[in-house]
Amino acid sequence: MVKLAARLSLPRQRNYPLMLLITLLLLVASAVFSLTLGSAEISINDIIAVLFGTAGTPALADTVIWQIRLPRLLCAMLVGAGLAVSGAILQNVSRNPLADPYLFGLMAGAGLGATIVSVVLPAQLFSVAVGAFAGALLAVALVFVFCAGQHWRKVEVTLLAGVAVSFMLSALSSFILYFAEPFAANRVMFWLMGSLSRTDWQSVLLLAPVTLLVLLLALALRRQLDALLLSDESARTLGVNTSRLRLVLLLATALLTACIVSQCGGIAFVGLMIPHLVRRLFGVTSLHLLTGSALLGALFLIWVDNLARTVLPQQEIPLGVITSLVGSLFFLTLMRAKQT
Amino acid sequence: MLKVSGLSLQLGSQLVLQDIAFSLPQQGILGVIGPNGAGKSSLLKLISRALPPTCGQILLRQRPLSQYTNQQLARTLAVVSQHPPPLFALTVFQVAAMGLLPHKSWFETTNSSDRASVTRALNKVGLANKADVLIDTLSGGELQRLYIARALVQQPALLLLDEPTNHLDVQYQHQVLQLLRELNIPVLVCIHDLNLAALYCDSLLLLNKGHQVAFGTPEQVLQHQQLQQVFALECQVSRHPALDKLQITFLPPGAA
Repeated sequence: MVKLAARLSLPRQRNYPLMLLITLLLLVASAVFSLTLGSAEISINDIIAVLFGTAGTPALADTVIWQIRLPRLLCAMLVGAGLAVSGAILQNVSRNPLADPYLFGLMAGAGLGATIVSVVLPAQLFSVAVGAFAGALLAVALVFVFCAGQHWRKVEVTLLAGVAVSFMLSALSSFILYFAEPFAANRVMFWLMGSLSRTDWQSVLLLAPVTLLVLLLALALRRQLDALLLSDESARTLGVNTSRLRLVLLLATALLTACIVSQCGGIAFVGLMIPHLVRRLFGVTSLHLLTGSALLGALFLIWVDNLARTVLPQQEIPLGVITSLVGSLFFLTLMRAKQT
Repeated sequence: MLKVSGLSLQLGSQLVLQDIAFSLPQQGILGVIGPNGAGKSSLLKLISRALPPTCGQILLRQRPLSQYTNQQLARTLAVVSQHPPPLFALTVFQVAAMGLLPHKSWFETTNSSDRASVTRALNKVGLANKADVLIDTLSGGELQRLYIARALVQQPALLLLDEPTNHLDVQYQHQVLQLLRELNIPVLVCIHDLNLAALYCDSLLLLNKGHQVAFGTPEQVLQHQQLQQVFALECQVSRHPALDKLQITFLPPGAA
């Protein structure tokens, strides 16, 4: 399975600058198009006028764009970029092509936090986002405390600890939900499946710096990340402190993912699928992988959110449902293509 | 270049290396020989600082090894060893370019002189025409030469190799060792094959069960009595008439 997933990332002749340009253009076009979608009909001309603050724009359009659609669009881009970059980092750092940002039991932790906030604690004491963030951090802390002293050499131990913590925290959530009122279970459920409907400018202010910092950190460490691709020993002889590199990057991605989960719940498969696609389209080395993942992740999530908002009238589909469906189909298609 | 004195390594209750002392001059190939479990690889790990010694001193360019930062060490000493195939297929050039790492700061980009130095290294090992080839299509010998190229990109003052001729056929064994001769930097190499060691090494270090049995020129080290004792096999040491190098033949048990 691991081998197969790695094979999906087979490179071919690629033109990195050209791919970068195409993806950037698509990203801008998709972003503008995405702003036109919604119950209020706003033309592209109006959107451009609103964005550039031209006089005489309709007040309704101004409010809808600035207060609702733009923060949501920016969140979609940040979440997509953040998840894809985290996935790319984790796959290289753990040398495991199936690694994804929801390792370390982050989702289960966020779920437990959200459950406690909406079922156990008195209403309105904390927002679900705060609860989820705290829960995700708890999960990461549990995994890291368990693995402390292992010097982060045994990546497998970290992964398995994540699985164990996941089950433990999910069991606690299930226990609480079992005795809770049915609506609470519904709320937590919808929230866990991922949605950008609760994001606002505050989400943007939280996600933008964190995503940017993690991306910059990974870019600064790109040669070290590349050196890890061969073996730990090989990286060490090049002067890399592999234990410290792992610890720093695992912590950074865990924090980024916890922030993302707190704002929009669980959006599966983005962090797993996008890096594999990027390796095929942009290249395998970290510079290409990280920049490509940021751009393609953002582009992908814009379109997932467009779908989520428009497929059913009067109702949104959870993002995680779409990403999981698209992601699994993507993998099956690729595997089939490789076999023949 | 390299001076080792009183070096010992204890892992758990086992004394892996005891009181090793030798030196490597500015030029030439030092071969570390001995049977399995003699401590050859452990010695290499101590010198590359993958393991800390229990006692003793290693001086690299007259400076204790422990005083080097990771980056300084990677600029001074390069290690060539076997790696499992990488997870995601890299090209020959990308792997060789990893050797740039110790010379680069956080946001420094790869410039044209870096690319030139990578190409030079690939040229030296005869892989320049395969720069864009994926490394999982390389033969064992080519792979070994590629790792040597990566080490050269580090611009080291000393090169360490662990069994570079393992799993290679005769042609590649000679190719790799001949390449080491032509590099003109001091080389320390662990090697199993005594005849290859006699052919290519300027000095030899013979280890047995963690002890240093002999250190000196091939003529001083490859002595009949000594080898017979260490390898527990009857052997004949002769001189190749054309090459003027020592030749060792081990005889099957009972044949003598």
